[in-house]
Amino acid sequence: MRTHKIFPLLLLTGLLLPLTGCGDGKNADGKIEIKFINGFTGGDGQYMTKIVKGFNASQKKYKLVQSQEKDHYTKFKSGKYDLVVIHEASLRTYQSDQMIQPVTDYMKQAKIKEDDFLTSGVDSAKVGNKMYALPLDIHPLTMFYNKNLVKSMPKTYADLAQLNEQLQKKDDHLYAFGLPSSGLTPFYLTVAAAQNDIQLERDGYLDFAQPAYADALMKYHDMVFVDQISPKKLGLDGEFQSFMKTASNNANQTAVSFTGPWYYSAVKDKYKDQLGIGPMPLLFKSKATTGNAHTIAVSSSVQDQEVKKGISSFFNYLYTPKHLANWAESGQTPSHKETLKLISEDPSRYALAAENQKQLKDYVRAPRVYQFDEQMRYMNEVVFAKLTSDRNLTKDALMTELKKATQHAQEIAQSK
Amino acid sequence: MYLTRRSRWFGLLFLLPFLICFVLFWLLPLVYGIWMSLHDFRLSFGENGFVGLSNYRDLLFNETVHQRLFLATLTNTLWFMLYSVPLLVICSLLLALLIRHLPRRFKTFFRTIFFMSYSISVTAVSAIYLWLFATNGGFINRLLLDLHFINSPVNWTSDQPFAWVVIVIATVWWTVGFNMLLFLNALEEVDNTLYEAASLDGASPWQQFLRITLPTIRPITFFVLITTLIASFNLYGQTLLITRGGPEQSTTSLIMGINTTVFGQNQLGMGAAMALLMGFIMMIITGMQFFVSYMATKKEPVLAKSVTQKKTTSSATDITLKSDAEKERKIT
Repeated sequence: MRTHKIFPLLLLTGLLLPLTGCGDGKNADGKIEIKFINGFTGGDGQYMTKIVKGFNASQKKYKLVQSQEKDHYTKFKSGKYDLVVIHEASLRTYQSDQMIQPVTDYMKQAKIKEDDFLTSGVDSAKVGNKMYALPLDIHPLTMFYNKNLVKSMPKTYADLAQLNEQLQKKDDHLYAFGLPSSGLTPFYLTVAAAQNDIQLERDGYLDFAQPAYADALMKYHDMVFVDQISPKKLGLDGEFQSFMKTASNNANQTAVSFTGPWYYSAVKDKYKDQLGIGPMPLLFKSKATTGNAHTIAVSSSVQDQEVKKGISSFFNYLYTPKHLANWAESGQTPSHKETLKLISEDPSRYALAAENQKQLKDYVRAPRVYQFDEQMRYMNEVVFAKLTSDRNLTKDALMTELKKATQHAQEIAQSK
Repeated sequence: MYLTRRSRWFGLLFLLPFLICFVLFWLLPLVYGIWMSLHDFRLSFGENGFVGLSNYRDLLFNETVHQRLFLATLTNTLWFMLYSVPLLVICSLLLALLIRHLPRRFKTFFRTIFFMSYSISVTAVSAIYLWLFATNGGFINRLLLDLHFINSPVNWTSDQPFAWVVIVIATVWWTVGFNMLLFLNALEEVDNTLYEAASLDGASPWQQFLRITLPTIRPITFFVLITTLIASFNLYGQTLLITRGGPEQSTTSLIMGINTTVFGQNQLGMGAAMALLMGFIMMIITGMQFFVSYMATKKEPVLAKSVTQKKTTSSATDITLKSDAEKERKIT
């Protein structure tokens, strides 16, 4: 063949090369790949990786390929994944947008029953009457405290106020706890509703413009500017950052932190034996805690029977107490009854999970509305920042903001 | 030149890689984007019906959640452009001038040092600036407190205008090296004999900069201005990672807004309309710059044109500089 004929042939072959990447989902070992995406980029990520590795080692036919991404929802929506971790507050949105499928058949194949989970767990994974995911854990707002500064665990707001007084006498850069400006604010916003028995959900949207809710939120404002229990303007993840600081002329330290269990590894590393763990104190009127729950859902794009079998195998492996206990070790609290039993038998090893297990009876789940996070956006990004940074904020001004937030939520709900 | 049929086909074959890439990565996405913007297109379940110009109407004329987001984030982005573009152009030019006047053995070293920041990822840059400007226990606050410049820590990332200050400083530090390199290359191209002639005629360094350097590097300055403007319009990583769009959404950029619309609210059609409007606005701004530059070149004295063409003789410089000096004398 002459050179001028070989060249175009090579060129066209080269252009076709990328297409050869489209295969039948099998990897080089001939194993069927199941693509699993989650957002476990914090301290808990390594424990999920341990579970995935354990599953892969136990399998001859299937291989779970895990992606841990900070923005895993975006990746899931724009990519091709088989399994995804979804927060309970978002599960209805994904079901409504037809991105996930019911898991009843997978459960049957994996010999998993609804009864294997706590009611709050089953509730976290259901949309209507159908299971659209398998419950992984419930992560309520958790209290960590520094035993060097806190002699007895605070149970009420009065305890925190008293603690603050003692700390301020010692050093004016020491505070009882810190309210973040952004980050975990949805938890704080829902706790204010739950501990005041306020229902935010109305006709599929979040109704924030309620005088009782404004009163509850103004208490956060007072915590910063009247009682001065929390430093002001702590910024993103301020509740955790200030807990990790050491008081100095330019750094405020807090003795208690109400935060997510995913910070467990970090706080344990810093405080070791001096780390205290407890349930969410009573900040408002009634005892309740909120947070979120992780569930594992199957993408609606999964149709291949072999992949489906592989997913069932993974579920079967995961919901075996000794395997799921790895997840409890990270600080998360599984809602799988048998695993909870195992945790109770060894509370020192699973300290946080054992502690959080106790407050699940007071757990109030987030409202089930379409695009919960988007409906909360104005509250998270504008209203909570005002509560912790605007000294002159009045209840009337807050009500105006709450009306704006409600209008925003209503419009998002209507976009369904 | 006469081309045989075979050589014409062969030529087309050489063009093919470019044509394929052009169609695949530019033309098709653009056409697809326009098509999506004319539909109720959801990221999750795709096309939901033709809506015509309804997405554009909602963005421009109807008070909706999308319009509020679009206008607020567009305004934020325009503010950022206003703060950052002049600084990015001026700082890089100053750096380039400084390096040009360094002894030869130091030039490469400093050029590399200043360019190095450009090679760092936005994540690392944001992490550095978050640590530097943290309100509670940050380095800058500690320094300012120790030097007694401030009495209490400044809320760098959660108060305005400080949040913009941090974003602009981080952006300038991160990207100034690229513009500097472009300016440096342009400065190296300036004919040294022009400076020698101007010195002999008694021109001050400032006059030399104004009459020789600036007109000569005008094309590259224009290029830097356009590319910096486009880059500033694409603000995303810094505000996402340093301020999370706060305080109170005041640093949420247009790209962040589009991201929220598409990935948060599932509205791919609306997001496409926002992106196309953004492209249109960028085209208008760039067009305006071209127009201003064209008008400036038109009004430019004979000297600048001749210098730009690099065909100027020293006598021409003599004449103009002398006439300038005479004018100045007359005024005084």
